[in-house]
Amino acid sequence: MYDPKTDNGRDTGLCTSDLTVGYDSDIVKDIALEVRPGKIVTLIGPNGSGKSTILRTVTGLLDARAGVIMLDGCDKSGIPVKKSARRISTLMTGRAEAELMTCREVIESGRYPYTGLFGRMSEEDRKKVEEAVEATDTADIADRLFTNISDGQRQRVLLARAIAQDPGILVLDEPTSYLDIRYKTDILTRIRKLAKEDNIAVLLSLHEPEIAMKLSDTVAAVGDGKILRIGTPREVFTESFIRSLYKLGDADVGMMGTLWYDVDEDKLTDRDASAGWPEAGERRTHAIMIQGTMSGVGKSVITAALCRIFAADGYKTAPFKSQNMANNSYITGDGLEMGRAQALQAMCAYTSPDVRMNPILLKPTDDCGSQVVVMGKSVGNMRAGEYYEYKRSLVPVIRKAYDDLASEYDVIVIEGAGSPAEINLKENDIVNMGLAGMIDCPVILAGDIDRGGVFAQLIGTLDLLEPEERSRVGGLVINKFRGDEELLRPGIGALEARSGSKVIGVIPYIDINLDEEDSLSDRLRLTGRRSFDIAVVRLPHIANYTDLDVFDASPDVSVRYISRPGQAEGADIVILPGTKNTIGDLKWLWETKMADAVINLAKSSVPVLGICGGFQMLGRNVSDPESVEGGEAAEGLGLLPVDTVLLPQKTTRQFEGTIVNATGALSPLSGRMIKGYEIHMGSTKPYENVNEFTSDATGYCLGNIYGTYVHGLFDEGGTAAAAVNAILRFAGRETDIPKLCDRDEYRQKQADILADTVRASLDMDAIYRMMGLEKVN
Amino acid sequence: MKRRCCIAFAAVILLLIISAYVNIITGTVVMSASEVFAALAGRLAGTIEANVVLFIRLPRIIAAVILGGALALSGYMLQTFFNNPIVGPFVLGISSGAKLAVALTLIFCVTASGKPGTVSLVVAAFIGALISMAFVLAVSVRVKSMGVLVVCGIMIGYICSAITDLVVTFADDSNIVNLHNWSLGSFSGIGMRDIGVMSTIVGLCLIASVFLVKPLGAYRLGEDIARTEGVNITLLRILLILISSLLAATVTAFAGPISFVGVAVPHLWKSMARTSSPAVMIPGCFLLGGAVTLICDGIARSLFAPTEVSVSTITAVLLVPVVITVMIRRKKDNV
Repeated sequence: MYDPKTDNGRDTGLCTSDLTVGYDSDIVKDIALEVRPGKIVTLIGPNGSGKSTILRTVTGLLDARAGVIMLDGCDKSGIPVKKSARRISTLMTGRAEAELMTCREVIESGRYPYTGLFGRMSEEDRKKVEEAVEATDTADIADRLFTNISDGQRQRVLLARAIAQDPGILVLDEPTSYLDIRYKTDILTRIRKLAKEDNIAVLLSLHEPEIAMKLSDTVAAVGDGKILRIGTPREVFTESFIRSLYKLGDADVGMMGTLWYDVDEDKLTDRDASAGWPEAGERRTHAIMIQGTMSGVGKSVITAALCRIFAADGYKTAPFKSQNMANNSYITGDGLEMGRAQALQAMCAYTSPDVRMNPILLKPTDDCGSQVVVMGKSVGNMRAGEYYEYKRSLVPVIRKAYDDLASEYDVIVIEGAGSPAEINLKENDIVNMGLAGMIDCPVILAGDIDRGGVFAQLIGTLDLLEPEERSRVGGLVINKFRGDEELLRPGIGALEARSGSKVIGVIPYIDINLDEEDSLSDRLRLTGRRSFDIAVVRLPHIANYTDLDVFDASPDVSVRYISRPGQAEGADIVILPGTKNTIGDLKWLWETKMADAVINLAKSSVPVLGICGGFQMLGRNVSDPESVEGGEAAEGLGLLPVDTVLLPQKTTRQFEGTIVNATGALSPLSGRMIKGYEIHMGSTKPYENVNEFTSDATGYCLGNIYGTYVHGLFDEGGTAAAAVNAILRFAGRETDIPKLCDRDEYRQKQADILADTVRASLDMDAIYRMMGLEKVN
Repeated sequence: MKRRCCIAFAAVILLLIISAYVNIITGTVVMSASEVFAALAGRLAGTIEANVVLFIRLPRIIAAVILGGALALSGYMLQTFFNNPIVGPFVLGISSGAKLAVALTLIFCVTASGKPGTVSLVVAAFIGALISMAFVLAVSVRVKSMGVLVVCGIMIGYICSAITDLVVTFADDSNIVNLHNWSLGSFSGIGMRDIGVMSTIVGLCLIASVFLVKPLGAYRLGEDIARTEGVNITLLRILLILISSLLAATVTAFAGPISFVGVAVPHLWKSMARTSSPAVMIPGCFLLGGAVTLICDGIARSLFAPTEVSVSTITAVLLVPVVITVMIRRKKDNV
C-alpha cells in the first residue's frame, strides 16, 4: 500500500513562511509557524483575530493569499489533495451535519483518502478504524446515530474520525468549545497523548489561556493582523502581553482563572511543570549562554574557548549567536554569509561553519543603516528603526535555526551581544535574555576588568535585569585580568555578597591571534584592506564559494566581497566567482556598472580571474539556445576572446592537470600541477590566439586576464602563495606573504592554548552543573 | 441497521411488483390475470388484448418506474447539493425550465422538419433545465437561506409557465391539444422506442451516480470535512448538477412536469432504511421513486376512469403531506 510517510522519506511536520491568509482581504499576514512531530502548537488571540482563518488555510479549505505552506518539507500547493489528506486531518468548529449516520460511519469516513473508487474498506482500513475507536473509547456509541449523542461524545467521534485518517499532522479548531469540564479534560488528554505517544504534530486554536499554558509546547498569539508573539507558554503568557493581546487594559480579571504566569510563582511552577507534563525542556541538547556587560568584554573568545573545551571533552558542540553585527563575513561552502566569529568558533568546536550558527548578520553600511542578512542571504538594507520593527518577524527564524542545530549537537554555546541591560531596547530582545528565555538556558555574565569598573559593570548589569532574568545568571566571570589574583580576592567576596551570584572564574588577559571579529572589522574600517587585497565580485547568485578560503586564512591577505563599483579600486586582483545564473548575473554586472569597473581595472593591468561562471562572463558572449537559464543571450565583458554556449548537460568531474601557459602576472605559475573539480553547464570555445591557462581546454588566458572552469585550483601545493607572490612581484612590490597553508594549523594551536587557559581559570564543574551535564571524563 | 436496510429493500421491491401487477391487470379493457400473462408471454399476438398489454400498459408501467426513479434520484442529488431537504427538480423550477424548452421546441420546430423526435426533445429539455438551474445557482450563491431558495425556484417555475402559456396562445390548435395533455404531466402515449431512449439516458445517469457513492458518503459530514479528506468538491458539485438536471430533463421531455416525487421520495426512503449512506440511497430512491410513481399513475388513470387525472394531481395530494412533515420535523430540530 502506498504510504506517503515513507514515500518522501521525511516526516517533518508542517511549517509556513510569510503566509498571508484571509478571504477577500488579508486577515493575518507574515505567518511563520512550525509544527513538528510530537509538538503541540496553540494559536491564541481574541475573537475574530483570524485563528480559524489560519487553520482553514493550513488545511487547504482556503487558498493562501501569499506565502508558502510546507508539508514534510514540500510545498503543499504542489501536493495532490488526496496525498495531503493522508498527512493532515482536521477537527473544525461548527456542527458536522450527519443525518442518519452512525458514529462508526462517521469514523470510517476518515479512511476516505485510502479507500478505492467505491470506498470499499480493506482489512487495513477496518483495523485503523478499530484503533481510532479504541483510542477514543467510542466503542459503546459506535453503532448509535451521530445525531443522537451528546456534544462531548460527538467531539470524541469526530476526533476518532480525524485519527482514523492516520495523519501526521492534526489541526483542531477550538476543540473544547461547547464542552463541559469532563469532556474538555477528556479531549485534551487525548490530544496530548496523540502528540506525545504517537508523535503527531498538533496545531490547534484555544480560547482558554489556562489550557493553552498547560497543553502547548509553543504558543502563537494572533492579533492586529499578525503573529504578535510566538514562544513557549512562559514567554507568551505574561501579564502585560496578555492584557494587550486581549485589549484588557487595566480591567479587573479577578473573575477569571489563571490568565498568565505569576512571576513570583515562577520557580515553583517551573519545577512542577518539569515534573509533570513533559515540557519542551526534555530536549537532550544542553546550552549555555555567554553574555557580557558591554561590547568587547571577550564574549566571542570565551565562547570559542568553551566550544573547544566541550568538544575536547567529547561533546558534539556548536556555537550560536542569533544576531551578529560585523562588516566582514564568512562565506560558507554553499555561498551563504555568516559572522566570522561563529565560523571561527565552529572551527574551535571541530565542526564546520554553518549558517544556522548565526542566522542573522547585520553588516553596517555607510549610512546609519545596515544590510540585513538572514540565514545567509541579504534581505535588503534597513535603517535602525525599520530593523527594530522587522526584528520581531525574525524570532521564528532564530528559533528554527537554533532548534535545527540543537537536533544535531549535544552542546550549544551561545554568545550574547552587547549588554543584556540595555533597558531602552529590552522589548523584542532576541539576542540576550530574550533568547535565553526562549530556549531556557543558563547564562554566564562576563565583565572586562581591563577597562576598569568590573564590579560596577557586573553589579549594575545584574541590578538592571528583571528578577526572572537574574535567576538565569548562573555565574559571573571576570575577563582580561592582569596581575596578582590575591589582590582581587576581597573584591570577589564583596561582589558575590552584593550580587548573590557566584564568581566562577577569573580569566587572565590572553594575547591570542584568533582572527577576532571586532578587531577585524576595526582593521577594515581603518585601512580597508591588508597587504594583499583580493576583491571578489559579490554576484547575486554566487555559488561554490570555497575557492578562496585558502587565501582567507592568511593574516596578510584580505578577501573582500564587493558589490559597488567603487569598492574595486586598489585591489591586487579581481575575482569573478562562480554563479548559479551566468546570464542574470552578467546583466547585473552591466546594470550596476561593476562591469565597467572590472574592465577599467583590467585596462590598468590589474589581474582579473574568472572561475567557472566568472570565466564565462569574461568572454564576449554567453548564449543560451536551449533555454538553460531562460533562453536570453548576454554580452560578456569581452576581456577574453572566448564564447560560451550554455548547455543543459551538466559537467561535473574531478580535475587533475596543469597550468599550461599562464601569461602576464601569473606566468611563474606555468607548469604547476593543480587539482580541483569542474561543475558547470555549458562549454566555452576560444576564438583567436589565446593561451591555454588550465589544461584540457578548461581555461584560457590573455595578458592579465585569466579564466578557468576549475574550482579549487589554489587549494593545494602552495599554488595560492605562489600566485600571491607572483602578482606582488609583477606589481613591483617586495612584500613576501608567508606560507598560506599553515594558517589553519596555527589557528588550531591558538585555539588549544586559549581553551587550556580558560579551562584552568573557570570552574568547569560549576558550568557543567549549570547545564545539567555530567562531565564525561 | 443492516437488517433494516434489507427489509426496506425487500419491501420496496415487493411494492414495485405488486403495483406493477395491479397496473397491468387494471384498465378500461377488462382482462383477467391469466389473459394478461398470456399476452405478455406472446400467446395472444395480434389480439386487442395483447396490443393493450404490450403496447399501452407495459410501456406505461416501465416509463412510470424509470421516470419516477429518475425524479427521485434527481431530488436526492439536489437535496445533497443544496444541503436543503425541501428541494427537488420541480420545486426548484428545473422541471418548468425543461417544460418551457420542450414547449418551444414542439411549437417552433414542428413546421420546419415535421414532428421533433424524442432525442431532440430531451436535448431541449436538458438545455432548459440547465438554464433554470443556472438561475437557481446564481441565487444560492448569494442567499444561503433554504426558504429563499425554494421561493426563488417556485418563482422561476411561474415565469417559465407564464412564458409557456404565452407561447401556447399563439400556437396552432393541434399543437395546443398535444401540449396541454403533456404539460399536465402524463405517462400516456409513451411507446417502446421512447422507453429505449429514456432507459439509456437514465441508465447512464445511474451508472455515473454509482461512481459518486464514495464522495457523496464523505460529503454527508459537510463540505469542510469532505474537502480535508480529499474530496474534489468542485467536480462532485458539477457532476451532481449535470446528472440531476439530465434526469429531470428526461422526465420532463417524456412525461411533462411531475411534481413532488423528487422532494418526497428521498425522505420516505430515508425513514424506511434509516440510513443516509449513498450506497443505499441511490438504488433505494430509484426503486421507491419508481414504485410511488407507478402507484400514483395507477390511481391517476383509474380514479375517474375512463377519464384520466394528471399524475401531478395525485403525486401532489399524496406527497405534499410528506414534504410538510419533513419541514415540521426540521423546524423542531432547529429549535
